Amino acid sequence: MFFLKLRTVAIPLLLVIGLLVPIFVQDTYIRHLFIIAFIYGIVASSWDLSLGYAGIFNFGHIAFFGIGVYAAGLCAKLLGIDPWIAMLIGGMAASAAAGLVALPVVRLQGVYVVLVTFAFSQLVLQVVISQSQITGGTLGMVRVPTIELFGYNFLRDYKLGYYYVAFALLVASAFCLRQLVRSDFGLSLKALRDNEDYAVSRGIPISTQRLKVLVASAFFAGIAGGFYVIYLRVASPEVFNFSTVSLVLSMVLVGGTASIYGPIFAALGLTFVLEGLANVNGLAEGRFMLVAIVMVLVLLFLPKGLASIFSRK
Amino acid sequence: MTADTISAIIVSGVVLGSLYALMASGLSLVWTTLGIFNFAHGALMTLGAYLAWTMSDAAGLGLGLAAGIAVAVAVLIGVGIVMERSVVRPFYDHRDILLITVMTTLATMTLIEKGIQLVWGARLKQLAPIAPGKVEIFRTTISAQELLIVIVAPLLLGALWLFLRNTRIGRGIRAVGQNSAAARLIGIDVSRLFIVTFALSAVLAGLTGILLGSVRLLTPSFGTDPLVKALIIVIFGGLGSLSGTILAAYVMGIVEAALTYFVGIYWTPSIIFVLLIVVLLLRPQGLLGKVVR
Repeated sequence: MFFLKLRTVAIPLLLVIGLLVPIFVQDTYIRHLFIIAFIYGIVASSWDLSLGYAGIFNFGHIAFFGIGVYAAGLCAKLLGIDPWIAMLIGGMAASAAAGLVALPVVRLQGVYVVLVTFAFSQLVLQVVISQSQITGGTLGMVRVPTIELFGYNFLRDYKLGYYYVAFALLVASAFCLRQLVRSDFGLSLKALRDNEDYAVSRGIPISTQRLKVLVASAFFAGIAGGFYVIYLRVASPEVFNFSTVSLVLSMVLVGGTASIYGPIFAALGLTFVLEGLANVNGLAEGRFMLVAIVMVLVLLFLPKGLASIFSRK
Repeated sequence: MTADTISAIIVSGVVLGSLYALMASGLSLVWTTLGIFNFAHGALMTLGAYLAWTMSDAAGLGLGLAAGIAVAVAVLIGVGIVMERSVVRPFYDHRDILLITVMTTLATMTLIEKGIQLVWGARLKQLAPIAPGKVEIFRTTISAQELLIVIVAPLLLGALWLFLRNTRIGRGIRAVGQNSAAARLIGIDVSRLFIVTFALSAVLAGLTGILLGSVRLLTPSFGTDPLVKALIIVIFGGLGSLSGTILAAYVMGIVEAALTYFVGIYWTPSIIFVLLIVVLLLRPQGLLGKVVR
């Protein structure tokens, strides 16, 4: 009960803090970190929808993010589509890819789901690298156009515009994800996760629900990818790396699966901690080793994530 | 299509297949015995290759390849034991052991890869080939090292098979794979066999790395590509049986060589993936696999 009350106060408070941050933080670099953390927050929390709530062993989520990155980047750069619309296209492309992956995935069990989703992300990586005349290959994609609104370029005023767009996207996606998991649809996902046989016998269509949740969670990741490329203006195939996968996965785990908010806070925390460690001598590579160790420790001792310390259930 | 083309495809396919078989058999061994999928397998391979490089290369200690192999095997046995104890064993009784160990072995992969980058740096390295020079087989020229891989792979796999079939420990491992509860009941020390299996698989990974390390350039992420290929092979072949996995590895090697020849290196992964989806839609348990939950 304590936690519920805390939550009703905490959410509006955090919203206000989020809106006020740019007033106190004038530094472009710190604002940049916030923006990156918000993007990771969207990716991690939307992954939590398919991995934590639906219990699908989906390890292709970073590939959906990457598809968003490349779909939006290529649309905006090569086809001259307005970057705002390109972001949306990024989301839709990720959803379409998720629909394709879902074809075999909804019929598979256990480790085969892991293997197919991993294989899928490697396939996307291969396609991006091999089509270098379009995607820039291993060199990456550069000079993606920026967003504007009524002639205001969002890069101005120390990235003020980008900060608010990122924050708005994070809030909107967190709101949608919360609504989704609290709806009947979300409940049916939890039922399927916790007791598949019983849920199916009560008439929940397992394949349809799994298809829907993959498409939905990929949409948020794709939008985040679209924003990522429009903001950074560059993209490289590194977004598909195993290390990106394990970084975002550690955010989901440290924050606690099946909580939506947990991964968002973990994304914020880890982004700043990692960036802080990057400046410590000799930890530029070692910090990712630390994250890996923390991830294992959390799984060992706090299987519900760090959030479980506070929830007092 | 001339006879030369066919022989070129088959020869390079068998080279690929031999590597894949070594790689995938380690994964399959751990899967059948412990019921987990080790994503750090590729990183263990990289570690083996780097250790051998340090011991053997003139820029390292220059002690010769035999010393390199010995050290790599010894270290990998240790790493295998530590890994089993720290990231696998605590979760044996857990309901979601499969999912959790995917994450912990993924974390281990990051740990090893970044560790390698820290110790050895990102600069490319290459192991001196055990067998230098080139040879011609069926009018197709390959390096002697590749021929060595083709010969050594079946020998290693044969030794593994003999070990699993004829020794007490090997039979124990197979018994645990078939029914671990029954194995426990007849007095087999299951937990010790888990460690042995993990160490054995780590050694297989290391030896594969040493063989591959003189054909390809060593980077910290050197094991990723073989791991992904092995992953696709175990989906095709089904994870259930070692022989199915090995067969699938050779088939995959030849299919890949043929596709590379006909559609080029760029579209090969996509076509393999489409084939994979088709196979899975028709036979969700893999081409040769049994139903696994």
